[in-house]
Amino acid sequence: MSNDVWALAEISYGKLAGISLQVASKAAELASAFGGVSAAVAMGVNTAAAAEELGACGVGKVYASESQVYDNYLVQPAAETLAGLIQQHQPKLVLFGGTNFGRDVAARVAARLSLGLEYNVGDLAVEGDHVVMSVPAFGGSQIVKMTFRGEGTNLLGARPNAFPTNRVGGTAAVEAVPAPDALSRGAKVTGPFGTEGAEQAGHLGKAPDGHDIWMPAATRAKLEEAQIIVSGGRGLGGPQGFAQIEELAAALGASVGASRAAVDAGWIPYAHQVGQTGKTVKPTVYIACGISGAVQHKAGMGTASLIVAINKDKDAPIFSFCDLGVVGDLNVIVPQLTAAVKQRKGT
Amino acid sequence: MNIVVCVKETPSTTAEKRFGPDMRLERRKEDAIINPFDEYAIEEGLRQQEKHGGEVTFLCMGPATATEMLRRALAMGGDRAVLVSDPALAGSDAIGTARVLAAALEKIGFDLALFGSAAADAYGGVVPSAVAELLGQPLLSFASQLDIEGASAKIQRQAEIGFNVVEAGLPVLVSVVKAINEPRYPSMKGIMASKRKPLDTLSLADLALDAATVGAAAAREQVVGAEKVASQRRGEVYIGNEGAADRVVAFLVEQKVL
Repeated sequence: MSNDVWALAEISYGKLAGISLQVASKAAELASAFGGVSAAVAMGVNTAAAAEELGACGVGKVYASESQVYDNYLVQPAAETLAGLIQQHQPKLVLFGGTNFGRDVAARVAARLSLGLEYNVGDLAVEGDHVVMSVPAFGGSQIVKMTFRGEGTNLLGARPNAFPTNRVGGTAAVEAVPAPDALSRGAKVTGPFGTEGAEQAGHLGKAPDGHDIWMPAATRAKLEEAQIIVSGGRGLGGPQGFAQIEELAAALGASVGASRAAVDAGWIPYAHQVGQTGKTVKPTVYIACGISGAVQHKAGMGTASLIVAINKDKDAPIFSFCDLGVVGDLNVIVPQLTAAVKQRKGT
Repeated sequence: MNIVVCVKETPSTTAEKRFGPDMRLERRKEDAIINPFDEYAIEEGLRQQEKHGGEVTFLCMGPATATEMLRRALAMGGDRAVLVSDPALAGSDAIGTARVLAAALEKIGFDLALFGSAAADAYGGVVPSAVAELLGQPLLSFASQLDIEGASAKIQRQAEIGFNVVEAGLPVLVSVVKAINEPRYPSMKGIMASKRKPLDTLSLADLALDAATVGAAAAREQVVGAEKVASQRRGEVYIGNEGAADRVVAFLVEQKVL
């Protein structure tokens, strides 16, 4: 086995995910620590542009497999290509982003080749010739230290924002890799929907089953990459309650998040859920409105630099882990806050 | 249609959790519940049976005591349950677990295999994809709606913006998210009926699985330590609506956010 460290890039319809740059940066760093070569595996459309970005994060090589087959089928073509490359080159470690795509691909590859697989890594340290991984457990109340054992390549899934993107500059050598043919037994993506009006401002839309659902503006930064997040929970009282969250977010240049309670109630799409079963975010400021702060929610936002909470229940758990807690009625405070922010910014 | 729902026993979300001397999660029988995410898979299996007929089997890998949990699933509905239990399975990692479930699914036979999208103890969500790989079948993952027509399954899958439609022919594996349904409560009649439903226990030998490929010995990951996380927050509290917005703005200015 080599000392090479790879990163799995996630490309969806020609767009490289931000987390891919995080794992690429870390792969480059680890490869030099182990005295190996760093590489990234980029599969999908527009891999040339992805290779440039990945190279700028320090990886020496990009295996580029250019094909629409990766968008046309879920996971299986990507697993096929990645498994083939791993068998051929035997890297020591393959880093992937702990997203739905990353986990599904890594699980298939690990099952096929009997590889080590850890999928929730928040941090890691190099000790001699191996890595010690820190994995949050029990809603983030404990950190578990893990290592790999046994022979062969290991797959390491990084939590979103576990590692910073380091644009150290550089150009990767690109090696073209053939893509698999269309699958006869595959999960075929036959169409997106609900994306109409995605560019328009936040609005009350209809879910597939006909109930009202708040559709936040699609123009804002992705939650995982947002510097400021305004999040709403059960205290909003309904999907319409997100209108004031959206306005505050717009004033602050923030993205819109939600608690599981709000998502489970069908008030806002799952893509906005912050927490253990949703997104892990690491903004500079997280403003939680009407969110009680269950341990599962904390697991997704507990590492925000600053947490501001607005909640009418003075005993809400969120007041035990925030920097500024406001006990009051969000329906009064949030609109006032929006106005005050606008005034301050002169907008 | 042959429907198999994979279920896992997890500690209650409110149970106090700690590691034993072997660095494995201490599992106490009294805290054991059906993994809450799997209840949506159970409900979906029952709804698909109501639409398309056939049998529903609940499949679990777990300790011998997991029969109680399987009876609770059978109280919701379904026809029978299979528990794969063997001392050699203790300490299995996700891939080891997938090997067991794949072998059991092959033995039982299925047109539709349903999973919750993750377990409330590990939040890995990697088992369904690994099982699909081992069986050489497609996985329709993170379904918020499932429609089966003839020999084809179609899901709505939550995407960053809106939804995707993803289709595959049967047999197929599907993992479901909470948005898909509202799980039913067991009725008194269901609870009574559950006691008479067949519940089989299989060992590794019954599945013709090599003990070297499962359990702690085959696990490729190990826990080497654990530590509690301390919190460092300012914890300033402001009470009342009056002046609250101004205090938040002042705070954001102090912190150089505004």
